[in-house]
Amino acid sequence: MLEIEGLTKFFGGLAALSGVDMRVKPGDILGLIGPNGAGKTTLFNLVTGFLRPTKGRVIFEGKDITGKKPHSIAAKAIVRTFQATNIFPDFTVLQNIVLSCHLVPKIGLLETVFHTPSSRRKDEDILQRSQAILELVGLDTMADVAALNLAHGHKRILGIAIALAAEPKLLLLDEPLSGMNAEEVSETMRLIDRLWQSGITILLIEHNMRAAMSLCQRIVVLNFGRKIAEGSPEEIKGNNEVIQAYLGAGEYAP
Amino acid sequence: MNKRIMISLLSYGILIVCICFLPFFFPGPYHLHVLILTMMNIILASSLRLINLSGQLSLAHGGMMTIGAYTSTLLVMKLGFSSWLALLMAGFFPAVIACLVGFPFVRLKGIYFAIVTIFLGEMIVLTAGQWRSLTGGSSGIFNIPRPNPLVIPGIVNITFSSKVDFYYLAFVLMLISLLILYAVENSRIGLTLRGIQQTDSLAESVGINTAGFKVLAFTIGCFFPGLIGGFYSQYISAINPDTFGFLFTIYLLVYMTVGGAERFIGPILGAFILTIFPEVTRPLKAFVPFFFAAVLMVVIFFMPEGIAGLPERLHKAIRKLLEKKTNHA
Repeated sequence: MLEIEGLTKFFGGLAALSGVDMRVKPGDILGLIGPNGAGKTTLFNLVTGFLRPTKGRVIFEGKDITGKKPHSIAAKAIVRTFQATNIFPDFTVLQNIVLSCHLVPKIGLLETVFHTPSSRRKDEDILQRSQAILELVGLDTMADVAALNLAHGHKRILGIAIALAAEPKLLLLDEPLSGMNAEEVSETMRLIDRLWQSGITILLIEHNMRAAMSLCQRIVVLNFGRKIAEGSPEEIKGNNEVIQAYLGAGEYAP
Repeated sequence: MNKRIMISLLSYGILIVCICFLPFFFPGPYHLHVLILTMMNIILASSLRLINLSGQLSLAHGGMMTIGAYTSTLLVMKLGFSSWLALLMAGFFPAVIACLVGFPFVRLKGIYFAIVTIFLGEMIVLTAGQWRSLTGGSSGIFNIPRPNPLVIPGIVNITFSSKVDFYYLAFVLMLISLLILYAVENSRIGLTLRGIQQTDSLAESVGINTAGFKVLAFTIGCFFPGLIGGFYSQYISAINPDTFGFLFTIYLLVYMTVGGAERFIGPILGAFILTIFPEVTRPLKAFVPFFFAAVLMVVIFFMPEGIAGLPERLHKAIRKLLEKKTNHA
């Protein structure tokens, strides 16, 4: 589904990512882990077009999408979430989703200005879809709350709901569990699991190791911009290089 | 719900009728002139706000008006166009220019976008001053013909020989412009623009072509100053490059900010109050820039949502006060 070949990104002289190869198959749920600054978010930015790679290619469903604009990559059904700026704060929860249902169904510019019957029908469609998405993620009771006033955990969930509105086939989640309390974490994990069950392929950056290990079938480990390991959670747990990356090399240990 | 719509429609109707009858109460040419200027400023400030919705500040309005004014004038005088077609072209030509320069411009964000639009506006004004063979240089063009008469035999015969006729023309232009701007803002386009204003990378990530929408807002927002530029040249029947300078554009920005950029009514209120008030205090006209600066400071510090946000703020403040009292009791 998604193939990444030799993906490299330099920021000045610093290699944020160097020569990463990766493959995501349809129906995968793949974890991307690594210490801070390992290049995980950079990889997301390169795949979704927010950054242009220095070298390498990104191929989605057989088509080269390297260097395309973010909105046209989203139109190919690769949608990502953000760590920080992940909602439209001045809108209500429902408006957040209605706005994000931009890709389907398409509404023409003049159609919407003149408020034609066809655009009204599509608006109705979008409203229904939005409500369904809110029900799915469990925010339906907060539809009319200003997004700004949501609790942190709900803001993160709204971020995922916004991505869902764009109807992703491949969903890239950037630390969906960060800053959540234990209860919110287990709730969000269940949600991610449900999304995966419903057929969305998921690529997940997560620092919460236990969550990543229990959610993902396969895990890729990055360190200093390089892929140092790939395998099942069990394999990763036992991988020496990974342990070194996280705990440091045992040079001064006896 | 239906009743409320009826009431608001009725009140708009009454307002429109009142504006229609204003010339009977203020028949003097000076009063009419001020009213026409007010209506022009309302359109200009409102169109500035549409660009502002996408999170961009354009300061090219003066330049766009200049283009509109020269487009209309030259089409009528050199190519013999009908004044009405020329008026429409006066709007379209600046919009096309805005669309062309928009794509490189919108790569810049915030203040940097505003700065390039200043340069664009100044460049247009300078070009108009230097291209003597076409624009008559800095002395401009005089004796621009009045709009072609509107004649429906036996019923209507508007010759545009008096200011009253221009008053009604400005009124019709204002109604149409505000209707279009309102329709755009309350469509999905308006929703999308507001989203882009808040978090444009997030909007981009769900498939919204943010650059395209910013250019769209800039293009529509530059149509109206062009139209008004064309109208003004036909109304004053003269145009020179300095008519709509940078200070004029800044005034539009002040109208929008003082009125409140967040609400549709904001720039309308701002333009109305700030166009009429300096005329009322005519003897102090030299102090207008000081006055504007003072008003702007007061609004920015004490009413961040502008005059249009005042009722809601008062409402909240009073409710808070009442709650405090009941809590004490």
